[in-house]
Amino acid sequence: MHKRHRWHLLLIAMLVAAATALAACGDDDDDDGGDGEETTAATEVEQFPANTTMGKIQEAGELRIGVKYDVPPFGLNNPQTGEVEGFDIDLGNYIADKLGVEVKTREATSDNRIPLLVDGTIDLILSTMTITEERDQEIDFSEPYYVANGDVLVPEGTEIASLDDLNGKRVCTALGSTYADTVEKEAPQADLRLVDLYSECFDQIQTGSVDAVSTDNVILTGMVIQDDTLQLLGLDFTTEPYGVGIQEGDTEMKQFVDETLTEYIDSGAWQEAYDEWVGQHLAEDQQQGPPDITLEEAIELFPLEK
Amino acid sequence: MTELWEVLTEHFPEFSSGLWITFRLVAFAFVIAMAVGTLVAALRVAPVKALNRIGGIYVEIFRNVPLLVLLIIAFSGFPRAGVSVGQWAAGIGCLGLYTAAYIAEALRSGVFSVGKGQIEAALSLGLTYPRTMRRIILPQAFRTVIPALGSLIIAMIKNSAIVGGSLVALPDLLNRTRLVQSRTFQTDEVFFWGAVGFLLLTVTATLAFRYLEQRFAIRR
Amino acid sequence: MSYLFDPDHWEWVWTGNNLRFLFEGFLVNLEIALIGIVLSLIFGLLLALMRISKPRLVSFPAGVWVDVWRNLPLILIILYLALAVPTSWRQAYADGIPEFFPDALQDELVLGAILGLVLYNSAVLCEIMRSGIQSLDRGQFEAAASLGLTYRQQMRFVILPQGLRRMVPATVSQLITLIKDTTLISIIAIPEIIGHGGNIISAASFGGGVQAPLLQVYLMIGLFFIVINFSLSRLSRRLEIRERERTGTTLKRVEGLEDQVALETDVAAPPR
Repeated sequence: MHKRHRWHLLLIAMLVAAATALAACGDDDDDDGGDGEETTAATEVEQFPANTTMGKIQEAGELRIGVKYDVPPFGLNNPQTGEVEGFDIDLGNYIADKLGVEVKTREATSDNRIPLLVDGTIDLILSTMTITEERDQEIDFSEPYYVANGDVLVPEGTEIASLDDLNGKRVCTALGSTYADTVEKEAPQADLRLVDLYSECFDQIQTGSVDAVSTDNVILTGMVIQDDTLQLLGLDFTTEPYGVGIQEGDTEMKQFVDETLTEYIDSGAWQEAYDEWVGQHLAEDQQQGPPDITLEEAIELFPLEK
Repeated sequence: MTELWEVLTEHFPEFSSGLWITFRLVAFAFVIAMAVGTLVAALRVAPVKALNRIGGIYVEIFRNVPLLVLLIIAFSGFPRAGVSVGQWAAGIGCLGLYTAAYIAEALRSGVFSVGKGQIEAALSLGLTYPRTMRRIILPQAFRTVIPALGSLIIAMIKNSAIVGGSLVALPDLLNRTRLVQSRTFQTDEVFFWGAVGFLLLTVTATLAFRYLEQRFAIRR
Repeated sequence: MSYLFDPDHWEWVWTGNNLRFLFEGFLVNLEIALIGIVLSLIFGLLLALMRISKPRLVSFPAGVWVDVWRNLPLILIILYLALAVPTSWRQAYADGIPEFFPDALQDELVLGAILGLVLYNSAVLCEIMRSGIQSLDRGQFEAAASLGLTYRQQMRFVILPQGLRRMVPATVSQLITLIKDTTLISIIAIPEIIGHGGNIISAASFGGGVQAPLLQVYLMIGLFFIVINFSLSRLSRRLEIRERERTGTTLKRVEGLEDQVALETDVAAPPR
C-alpha cells in the first residue's frame, strides 16, 4: 500500500474505533439510568390475558410510548444524560411498572403522533396531547392527566398584550395543534406560522422571525427557563386537558390506563412528578394540583366545528 | 386504476404548482451555481497559491457537508447572527452554493485539460491573464465540462427535493406530494405522481444534455 | 460576525455531555451508511449482472428498474417507504433484528430508511459496477472467450474480479454521498446527529447547563461531516489514481451523481 493512503485508512479506522468505544461506554450509562427510576414499591404485577393489549405488551416485554423529545419539562431527550425524560415519561414509566415491562420511547410530534398510534408503531401517546372531539374520533383518550392553559410568549419590549394584538402579527405554533385553530378563531388576521417542532418556534422568536408563540403555558415556561428575555402574557385563554392516547375501541386498555391514572394521583406520585418537573419552575400562585375535570367535560371544551 | 387518475385530476393544481416551484428552484440555483462555480474555479487555477487555497477550502466545505445541514445553518442559524434569510434565499442559496463546489472542480479540470501550453502561448503573445482565461481557455473549458454539467443538473433536481422536505419547506413538488398525501391518505397513488413529476424533470434534463453533448462537447 | 466567534456561544462544547451526545448521533448515521452500502453492493451486483446479461427479457426490465430508482430523489423514496411499508414487515424487522445491533437500529422505522437507501443506492452501484466491467478492455473478454471459458467462468475468473476492483474508488465515493444522505432520516424522526443537535438546542440549558446556540451547534455538525468525508474523498481519489496507473483504464462516468463527478474531476486534475 502507498504510504500516504495508509495514513488515511488509519485515520478512519481510529475514528471508527474511538466512536465505537465511546458508544460502548455510552450504552452502559443508558442502562444505569434506565431502571431504578421512581418505581412504586415492588408490588405484584397483574398478568393480563394474552388477547388484551396489556397482555400483548407484557409478552413483548416493553411499552412503546410516543413522547415529545423537545418540550421540556414534559418530554425531552436530555443531552446531558442521554435519557428521554419528563413529566409525560414519568407517567409512562408508572404505567409500564404496573405491567412489569420496560418503557421504550419514540419521538411523537404533534403531527405524526396519531398516525403512529393508529398503525401500531406505538402503544400509547403521551405527548402533551390536548383532548378534543376531533381527535376523539380517531383515537380514544384516558381521563385527563394534566390541565394546561394556553398562553402567548413574547419577546421583551413587545407591544402585544392581548389576543387581539396578535392580529397582523406573525404567530408560531405547531402543525396539528389545537392552537392553530384557536388563534385563527381569536385573531383571524394573525399570520400563522406552522412548524413541526416547538423548538423551531423557540428558535424563530429568538431570531425575530415571528412576533409571538402560542401553546400550552408549561411548554412556554420551558422556553422562558432557557431564555429569560422572553415572557409569558399570562392570558390563560384556553383550558387544555392532556389525555393519554389509546387505540380506538380498546376499552380494556382505556380502563386499565384510567385505573392506573387514579392510582397515580391518589398515591401522591402525580404530585411528586409535578413538583419535580413543573412545580419548581412556576411561581407559587400558578401551581396546581391533579386535574379535577372529567373526560366528557374535556371533550366539550373542544367540540367539532361544523 | 381509476383511483390513480382521480388522484391526479383532483389534485392537479397542487402537483403542477409544486413542479413549477421545483423547476424555478433548480433554475435559479443553477444560475448561482454557475456564477459562483466559475469564480471559485478561477481562484483554483490562478497562479497565486493563496487564492488556490481559498478556493480549495470552499470546495471542501461545500462538498462534504450535507445539504440538509447547510439549509439549517442558513435558514435558522444565520438569523441568530443577525443576517436574516428567507425561504427562497435559503433554498436557492444552499442548493446553488453546494452545486457550485462541484461545478468549480469540473471547470478546473476542464481548464486543466485545455492544457498549460495554451495558457503559456497566449501569455507569450502578450495577452493578459484575465483575457487569456476569458477568450481562450474558459470557452474551451466550458465545452469540455458539458457532460459533467448535465450530471450535476440531474443531481441538483434530486437534491432540490431536500429543500422542500426540510424545515425551509418551500412548497415544491415533494412538499406538495406530502401535503396531498396527508389529506387523502392515498399514499401509493400520490407518491406515484410525485415520482412521475421528478422523472419528467430528470429525463428531460438527460435528453437535453445528450443533445448538447453531441453538438458542443469537446472530447479529450 | 462577533456573534459567531463569541466564546460564550461555544461554551457548550466543553461543558456537559453535549459533544459526546452529538457523536452518539453521528454514529447512527455512520452505522446506517455502512449497512446501506453493504446491502446496496449485494443488490447492486445482482442488478448489474442482470443488466449485462444477454437475454433482453432480463436486461431490459433491470435497466428500467435501475433508471427509475436512480433518477428519483432519495428523500422522496424514503418518505414514501416510511409511510408505505406494511406493519407486518416492520414487526418482522423489530422482532428479527439481533440484540447486538445498536439501539437506534432497533427502531422499526429504520426499516423504511434502510429500504429506501438500498433501493436507491443499489441502482446507483449497479451503474457503477456496469461501468467498471465495461471499462475493461475488449481484449479481456475476447481473451477469456478464446481460452475456452464459458460465460460464467469468464465472469467469475476474469471479468468480475477486475471489473469490481475498478469500481472500489467509485464505491468509496458513493459512500460519501451515502453518509451525507443519512441525514435525511432525521425527517422521519429517527434520532441521529441532526436530531441530537436539535435536542441540544432545545435543552442543553435545562437542568442547569449552558445554552447551546443553534448556529454553533450546526456548524459543529458540519465539521463532523467535513472530517469524515474529506478523509474518505482523499482515500477514494488515491485509489482511483492507483488503479489508473496500474491498468491504464478510465472509469466511464456514471451520470447524475455529484460525488462521482467529484471523483472524476479530482482525478483528471488532482488538487494541488
